[in-house]
Amino acid sequence: METSSRSLLSPRPSPFRPRFHLHFNSVRSSPVPRASSSPPPPPVTTPQGMYRGVKPQRDWIGEWASNNADFVRILPILVGGVSLVAVLLNRAFSGIAPVADASSSQSRADILTLSLAVTDILTGLIWLSIRPKYIPPVVPSGVECKWVKPGISTDASRELLWFWESLSTATCCKSLVVVYGNDCLLQIGVAAESSEGDGGIVAVDVNKLTQGSLYKSCMQSSKQSYLANLPLYPGRSELPFLPNNTQALILQPIGDRGVAIIGGDTVKGFTTTDQAWISMVAEKIDSTLSKFCEALAEA
Amino acid sequence: MATTTSSSVVCSINPILPASQINPLFSFAPTTTGPLQRRLLTVSVRAQDSDGQLSQQPQQQLNLSVLRFTLGIPGLDESYLPRWIGVGFGLLVLLNHFLSSNPTSPQIRSEILGFCLAAFSAMLPYLGRFLEGVSSVNRLLLPEESKQIFILSENLSTAQREDLAWASYALLRNTNTMSVLIAVKDFLCIRGCWDTPEKVSKAAIIDQFKDQIQQAGFRGLTETLYFPRYTETQVGKILPKGVLSVVIHPIGSTSYSSESTEGLVLVASNSNYAYSDKDIAWIKSVANKFQLMAP
Repeated sequence: METSSRSLLSPRPSPFRPRFHLHFNSVRSSPVPRASSSPPPPPVTTPQGMYRGVKPQRDWIGEWASNNADFVRILPILVGGVSLVAVLLNRAFSGIAPVADASSSQSRADILTLSLAVTDILTGLIWLSIRPKYIPPVVPSGVECKWVKPGISTDASRELLWFWESLSTATCCKSLVVVYGNDCLLQIGVAAESSEGDGGIVAVDVNKLTQGSLYKSCMQSSKQSYLANLPLYPGRSELPFLPNNTQALILQPIGDRGVAIIGGDTVKGFTTTDQAWISMVAEKIDSTLSKFCEALAEA
Repeated sequence: MATTTSSSVVCSINPILPASQINPLFSFAPTTTGPLQRRLLTVSVRAQDSDGQLSQQPQQQLNLSVLRFTLGIPGLDESYLPRWIGVGFGLLVLLNHFLSSNPTSPQIRSEILGFCLAAFSAMLPYLGRFLEGVSSVNRLLLPEESKQIFILSENLSTAQREDLAWASYALLRNTNTMSVLIAVKDFLCIRGCWDTPEKVSKAAIIDQFKDQIQQAGFRGLTETLYFPRYTETQVGKILPKGVLSVVIHPIGSTSYSSESTEGLVLVASNSNYAYSDKDIAWIKSVANKFQLMAP
């Protein structure tokens, strides 16, 4: 299967292979300081404008719980189990008859305590049942690239780069391709390496892409398509420009004239929040790109 | 041969695909929980044997999903059930103690244990907030006395108005937010539920908000602030009543431009712990959009 590749001799700007480092905050950076509910002093600003007002205090219990999530999940089971055994032992070694007598204060206290113990045990079991399975990310195999179609407006370019910045920061996205108006406007992130071995990338064959089933079904439905486990999907071959070990894929229609192809490094790595945001950002991008195309048509 | 970069991989089966298309993935026992290491591992992957039967790993995990339940009462958060049971049963233990004529030592021991369990049960919903998958913040109803407004500064270009309108709408729609304030240099976008005075012009409201931002000292902010349990005295009077969570993110410079834009994005919610790390990441992304906004 022939795949076009971006070479140094192509009329398009030659792809480069930088260590593309983006300077913005990451989700995995140091945690945002969180506040406790203590009364604060009034905020004060220095003449230089530095913020000296109230800042959130660290939530030590919350941080401990987040860092020891596995232990916290079984903690109610441990506490409830130990308490249950303690109640039974207390009753056994106190010489009390093993009869649940409602008129007995002892029995009532034991029943209430046992009920609380069972509540804690059930809570712990529920926490265990909804523990998300950890799926590690897979480093995409390919070449880092940053290609923006020459000639697009500054606003459109800025919008597309902001889209990439948002996705790469907030989600597991490692590859992004934007096709709009039968033209590839953006290919950024990790792309499949060209078979020519010149360090180039596999360019997006828009004609071939638009003939594929993935693109067609996405545009026909006008809805976002989320392939949570891309390696299991046979249509993966329609996207040769993506790294071959891309784990998850989102195809997001951009209006009725384009699509954003978003590749992630983790199976089921895109959450429902990500999907909602991607849909909404696509609407904004459609608005910007449609204006660009209209301006281009008028020129 | 299969190569992974992780020290542990969990067997996963895509529940979306039909069984005929499922290929079992490689799996092996997790080894360490230390930092990720690049290893070369040899595993066997069997797609289908000659009989067409898929080889599957036996289910190791106990299915505890049967324990999950819902009372079906709209607006009732079942994650708080241990707290209610703890408080209720704790009161019953106390009542039992005072109703008993002559409590014995075993009874007192049982009651003390019951009180401890009641306190622990009451604390469980708080601990559960910090566990993934346990508590998801449901969108709460807006305060009845709240008034929804949408105010943009004057002298904005069409593109700027569109950006601010879209950003505020996206924040209200995709996060558990009831109030949004976006300030970019001297331009403001105020949207959602705010306690604004009656019969006051939009220009006066904007000036009022600018003064409050100045008094709160947000102009010099350089890092994101997240107040998951907000009190009214923490950041002044800028926020409406009923706010329980606040995120304030400054708008600064990026690597794409040497220009910098002063401003902030403020979102407020009427529920505690309303914003997850994911929400804050997307709020930052929205704020980054305005870094290159022309004056």
